[in-house]
Amino acid sequence: MDERDLVFYGTPIEREEELSSRKKKAVAEASGQLRTLPTWKQEVRDEEGRRRFHGAFTGGYSAGYYNTVGSKEGWAPQTFTSSRKNRAELKQQSILNFLDDDEKADLEGQSLATSTQFDTFGFTASEVARKQADKEQDKRPSAIPGPVPDELVLPAAESIGAKLLLKMGWRHGRSIKDSSTDSLYDARREARKAFIAFSSSDDTKSNIDGDANHVNDHSNSLERPVNDDNLSSQYTPLNALQPKQDLHGLGYDPYKHAPEFRAGKAGPGFGIGALEEYDIEDEDVYTTAAYDFEDTVVQEVEDSSKPITDHKHRLTWKEPGILPGFKVASISDYQVEKFNAPEVPKDFVPRHKFAGPLKVEDKTAVPPPPDVPPPEDSNMKVLIEGVATLVGRCGKLFEDLSREKNQSNPSFGFLMGGNGHEYYERKLWEAQQKYKDQKKLPLPSDGKSSQKTEKMNAENRGKILGERPLERSSSSLVSPDVNLQSNLSDTFMKPLQFSELPEVSKPFKDNSAKQERFQQFLKEKYKGGLRSGESGGASNMSEAVRAQERLDFELAAEALEKANRGQQSNLSAQQSMDFLTSAGMQFTSAGVEQSKDTLDKDFEMKKMYPKREENQWRPSPVLCKRFDLVDPYMGKLPPPPRMRGKIDSLVFKAEFIPVPRIGDKTGQNQNRSSGGLQSSAQGVRDGSADEEEDEVVVDVENVERPVDLYKAIFSDDSDEEAETSKVSKVEDPEKKVEVANATLNRLMAGDFLESLGKELGLEVPPDLPPYSHTNQNPSALEKETTGLNPRDGSSVKMVAEVPKSMDDQSPPRGKLDEVKVVKITEEDRKQGSPPPSEDRMDRRHSKRQRRYDSISDSYSSSSGDDSDRDRYSSKSKGRRKKGSSSRDKKSSSSRKHSRRRHHRSSSRSSRRDKDRGESKREKRKRRD
Amino acid sequence: MSASDLPTKEANVLKGHEGAVLAARFNADGNYCLSCGKDRTIRLWNPHRGIHIKTYKSHGREVRDVHVTPDNSKLVSCGGDRQVFYWDVSTGRVIRKFRGHESEVNAVKFNEYASVAVSAGYDQSLRSWDCRSHSTEPIQIIDTFSDSVMSVCLTKTEIIAGSVDGTVRTFDIRVGREISDNLGQPVNCISLSNDGNCILASCLDSTLRLLDRTTGELLQEYKGHTCRSFKMDCCLTNTDAHVTGGSEDGYVYFWDLVDASVVSRFRAHASVVTSVSYHPKDSCMVTASVDGTIRVWKT
Repeated sequence: MDERDLVFYGTPIEREEELSSRKKKAVAEASGQLRTLPTWKQEVRDEEGRRRFHGAFTGGYSAGYYNTVGSKEGWAPQTFTSSRKNRAELKQQSILNFLDDDEKADLEGQSLATSTQFDTFGFTASEVARKQADKEQDKRPSAIPGPVPDELVLPAAESIGAKLLLKMGWRHGRSIKDSSTDSLYDARREARKAFIAFSSSDDTKSNIDGDANHVNDHSNSLERPVNDDNLSSQYTPLNALQPKQDLHGLGYDPYKHAPEFRAGKAGPGFGIGALEEYDIEDEDVYTTAAYDFEDTVVQEVEDSSKPITDHKHRLTWKEPGILPGFKVASISDYQVEKFNAPEVPKDFVPRHKFAGPLKVEDKTAVPPPPDVPPPEDSNMKVLIEGVATLVGRCGKLFEDLSREKNQSNPSFGFLMGGNGHEYYERKLWEAQQKYKDQKKLPLPSDGKSSQKTEKMNAENRGKILGERPLERSSSSLVSPDVNLQSNLSDTFMKPLQFSELPEVSKPFKDNSAKQERFQQFLKEKYKGGLRSGESGGASNMSEAVRAQERLDFELAAEALEKANRGQQSNLSAQQSMDFLTSAGMQFTSAGVEQSKDTLDKDFEMKKMYPKREENQWRPSPVLCKRFDLVDPYMGKLPPPPRMRGKIDSLVFKAEFIPVPRIGDKTGQNQNRSSGGLQSSAQGVRDGSADEEEDEVVVDVENVERPVDLYKAIFSDDSDEEAETSKVSKVEDPEKKVEVANATLNRLMAGDFLESLGKELGLEVPPDLPPYSHTNQNPSALEKETTGLNPRDGSSVKMVAEVPKSMDDQSPPRGKLDEVKVVKITEEDRKQGSPPPSEDRMDRRHSKRQRRYDSISDSYSSSSGDDSDRDRYSSKSKGRRKKGSSSRDKKSSSSRKHSRRRHHRSSSRSSRRDKDRGESKREKRKRRD
Repeated sequence: MSASDLPTKEANVLKGHEGAVLAARFNADGNYCLSCGKDRTIRLWNPHRGIHIKTYKSHGREVRDVHVTPDNSKLVSCGGDRQVFYWDVSTGRVIRKFRGHESEVNAVKFNEYASVAVSAGYDQSLRSWDCRSHSTEPIQIIDTFSDSVMSVCLTKTEIIAGSVDGTVRTFDIRVGREISDNLGQPVNCISLSNDGNCILASCLDSTLRLLDRTTGELLQEYKGHTCRSFKMDCCLTNTDAHVTGGSEDGYVYFWDLVDASVVSRFRAHASVVTSVSYHPKDSCMVTASVDGTIRVWKT
């Protein structure tokens, strides 16, 4: 039976597994784009439900025509043909060109547009018309190829309200008010506008929206009714002219005080790439006044707004103090809260009190005119003095006035620089000085400071003391008495000042008699030229001493005065005093020097500069080469790089240890030898020294750091082997005693030494058989051989044999050479050279090193016998046994090996071991 | 040469730079001149005919100095982009870019054989660059200066540089010495006399100073112009009889070498005269200015 023939009721119950899978699918489908699934499980399908993306193994992205291009025909490149008759259409790309159909549909769905049936006011129609016009214009050939840029024909951005109002007959700038005259007019205008709108295909430029105003204005001028006079009053201000696009506060003009930035940061042709940011360096440091970029740029900026704003009336714009677009409110709730200024206390004197007197500047600033004898004519003198006093009191103005007034009067000639002018000047100066003093006096009222009392003049003192002022001649204010008095006050004032000197400022306080004489001297000095005969000094003094003292006093007084004048503190005054007393004869006050300094500053600058310095500078070799010059530092060591920091320097030191060692070998050797002598005194260490010796060989040959470090520790005993052996020749009995002691001590100290070595983290020198001390050279060799052939039972025998072949005459050389290459030593021996000095030895070391290298190369070909293998195995054994404290020969030798292994990390050194072993063997063979 | 022979008549105006011209230099034989400026270009001119020949564009920022090899085949330039460019003159391509300065590069010069370019930077260093090899690493860095190095001059055996730290340092490659002459004032520009015995140093206290190279002695000071805040060149005339330099007010000054009197001064530009370069043989001079023009002056 076919299922189709059956009728089903109800919903069949689905099986579990089916349900789950199908439901999932259903749910996924229902949710649309499989949104519930994680991203990587979602499938992308096209509108036909085909999978468009496959896995990498199933073809990847399938697109277009079977993963090729858009169509069956394939892809054809776009062609462009344009001829004079057949102008190519300039295609303008829009976003729609790049959208798929579905995307376009989406886009349309989102964009709102008035459908024609709801286009009540015909906006859309007009818009369509406008577009049509544009299109037609595009097709027409014009002076400017291509479409008219949209920027030129700007649609008015108007709100819908404005649009509605416009539709209702309102026009920009007019008040919204129903006026019968206007309405009639507007109706007419409306009709015209509609006509224009629909015939816009003829009119190239006119479109309802953009040019409505233009048309309006035009028509206004043509058939505007007579009510032009009240037109202005009907205008409503258009305020929001420029849409706000920035993030500044309302009315805030960021360029208000910096209009030069308004144009942007740089003019055309300047600036940097678009991807770079402006730095501080990119600022135009030069004042580019020659360019008017700002203007042009500003113009451009304004252009965009011009079509909108130009024809509008801005009534409220230019009012000062009001933000653009705002009006001042007539009624305001805002009241400025005013705070009264703080009340000035009544006793407040608005003048700053200086700690010290200002007198100094006055005195130093104006040099006094020379003292001139008064003119003979007493009337003249009186007149001059009177005028001077007045001028001094009242200022320069009085002088000018009186000069003008008495231009013709010959007796006032002194004012114009005639007779008695110098005297007048002097008197004027005196009067001014006096007046200044008087002016200054009332200000400081506290009598505490001694300086102020010093400035006291006779009148004030008289007042304080209750003295009656001297009787003045009643004839005139400007009697000569005034001058006399002032002079007197001066003369009295200064000695007083000195007599009241504080204890500290007494320059000769340790000599009371002298101090007294000094005070006397001061008093007399200010009295004038008259001096009593005995005043110059004590009567019992000789003429020369007196003159000397006089000189001292003079200088001391000068310094004292200076100290006071310079409003220095008591301390500094005392300092200068101390200086005076201590310096004795050479009085040169510091103040004078300082002034000199300022005077000569320029001169000194010139003298100081240019300064020349010379330093070492190392040109790099390449630089020398490029300059075609010989490197002045050729062959010299590179300079140590400059220390940058602590860490760097530390690193450096570690690295640089080897360098000086190679450089000054001689110093090293001296160290070694001295150290070696010390150590050779200790018999215990002698044995170890023997082994050290081949360590040294290694050191010299191999300049690696670890080895060198090791050398720094152990090399002491190395080269002095030669020395000690020499010494041993000379001081044989002593040596023998030493040796005997050593052999005794060895047994006892062995344990101790080993433990010490362990403590220091070093290998313990192995024990040596006693006979090695009789001749150290063979012992060294023996060590070598035993080390090389630890298993060889004949090692001891060999040791016994080796000394025979040795030339006793050249122990150090022979020893070292034999360790390395036999041939060389034999050569040297033939020459019969005396034992070389340490320097020579070093040279030979290096020489040998070179030779050795070549030889070792030649030898290396025959490396690989059993003995070698044996040796290495023993080495490894030795390493394993390192910790053991057994003192038999074998273990010690193996320990030695292990140590060597420690220090020779490079493969080359191991090869050298091998070579050495071979040379040994060869030697042995020859001897056998 | 008398004062009347000084180049005070304007022969040509070379216009083309957009913005300040920072340097103008004659080539070795004086037939051409090179200029560079804030518009990131280097321009090659024939100053005698007033023709713009070529523009070299590759710098990312303003170009501060340019120098050409004696055989006119290569250029080297430097500027605000911290690089030194090594150009091929005829093709206008950059052969190499030397990077390494940590800051703006103020000046650059070739050595005699054009094998090395030495640049002076704001990073207080002099760097010498190898033009022969393909290495773009500096051959040597001299960083003994304590402030921006403003100007550099090369002789056959020496590198001479002036710095804002007030020193003029001579690095003698042959001897391996550095001689430092402290002038006490920031040095803006240095220039060698044609006989090679003197250094003319333009200091920021509006003074040019003439130094004897062997002794380090101050021979003469030239004053009258303004030079307080800009990098401005100075040089000696081809006969070493006069000293010339620009001023911040657009004037060009000529001093007598010996008695330091202002022999001539005239307004050459509307703004700061950044660079002066004297013809190696004739009485001819080019001046460059912030006003964007290069002017050629002849007698």
